[in-house]
Amino acid sequence: MKIVAAKKILKANDQLAEENRQKLTAAGVFCVNVVGSPGAGKTTLLEALFAALDGRLRPAVIEGDIAGSIDAERIEKLGVPVVQINTQGACHLDASMIAAAAEDLDYSAIDLLLIENVGNLVCTAGFDLGEHLRIIVLSTTEGDDKAAKYPAIFQGSHALVITKADLLPHTNFDTRRIAADMKRLAPKAETFQVAALTGEGIAPAAEWLAAKCAASATDD
Amino acid sequence: MHELSIVEALIEQAQKEMDRAGHRGRVLRMELVIGRLAGVSCDSVRFAFDLLAPGTPLEGAQVHIAEPKATCRCHTCDAKLEIDEITIRCPHCGGIELTIEGGRELLLQSIEIED
Repeated sequence: MKIVAAKKILKANDQLAEENRQKLTAAGVFCVNVVGSPGAGKTTLLEALFAALDGRLRPAVIEGDIAGSIDAERIEKLGVPVVQINTQGACHLDASMIAAAAEDLDYSAIDLLLIENVGNLVCTAGFDLGEHLRIIVLSTTEGDDKAAKYPAIFQGSHALVITKADLLPHTNFDTRRIAADMKRLAPKAETFQVAALTGEGIAPAAEWLAAKCAASATDD
Repeated sequence: MHELSIVEALIEQAQKEMDRAGHRGRVLRMELVIGRLAGVSCDSVRFAFDLLAPGTPLEGAQVHIAEPKATCRCHTCDAKLEIDEITIRCPHCGGIELTIEGGRELLLQSIEIED
């Protein structure tokens, strides 16, 4: 006997992600999935964004790492509520991990939930977590060919944040090349160029995030 | 290596389909559709399946994978071409205004159960 299913293999994840999104939306929490390679500067970017937002929003963070809680400790130092997920070797977060982590967060005390995904440009692309936006973080030291080499993760992202912009003079990173690739892959995505350690370029990225967060609050 | 989680989800889904149809038998064959642009390696899927299927009704099932290509339509030369991998230039004229469709499928198409 043959059963014709014709169903998405990741349907279970997609359904749970949709539930996550509905719960977040209902609670007035704007959720962003932050993806990028290990060492791209995701945590440093979050630290700089929180400093720039300067208490304007009530943020919280879910940290996804294969092991340890180094990043979560950095966020905790800023007084931002944080939940650490250890994926025990898995290369990405999935919707069920977010649902479990959310139980440790008080949505009524949060406006903005940033999920820092596991450092990975491949696997994180396949799993919807229930976020409203996805930001891809790419550092100048990684090279300007990453969008062409890992198109899926760039294609589904709503913003590109180029980090370590202060190192541009020391690399052969061509911002025109990444801009051209993004124009093909994700024409609607915003691009920001920042140096999180010096604070250069952080303000426009923080403003954009705050505006997205506010726009989603008025939509409800 | 997220193929492992994909195959986990696949096995769960196949078992759900069997429950729905009220079947408890052994799965003989399974048809999957994995598009060329899905970012999923078919070899890794087969490898993960051999690791995860034992002890489930899917143990020993033959896995058939269809790998549809994507279509790339060029707005400059109007060419409509099948592509195996993502491209940002038209393979025909080098144009950069492209619409790429399909090739991202990740589907459990069918399962064949022992009568």
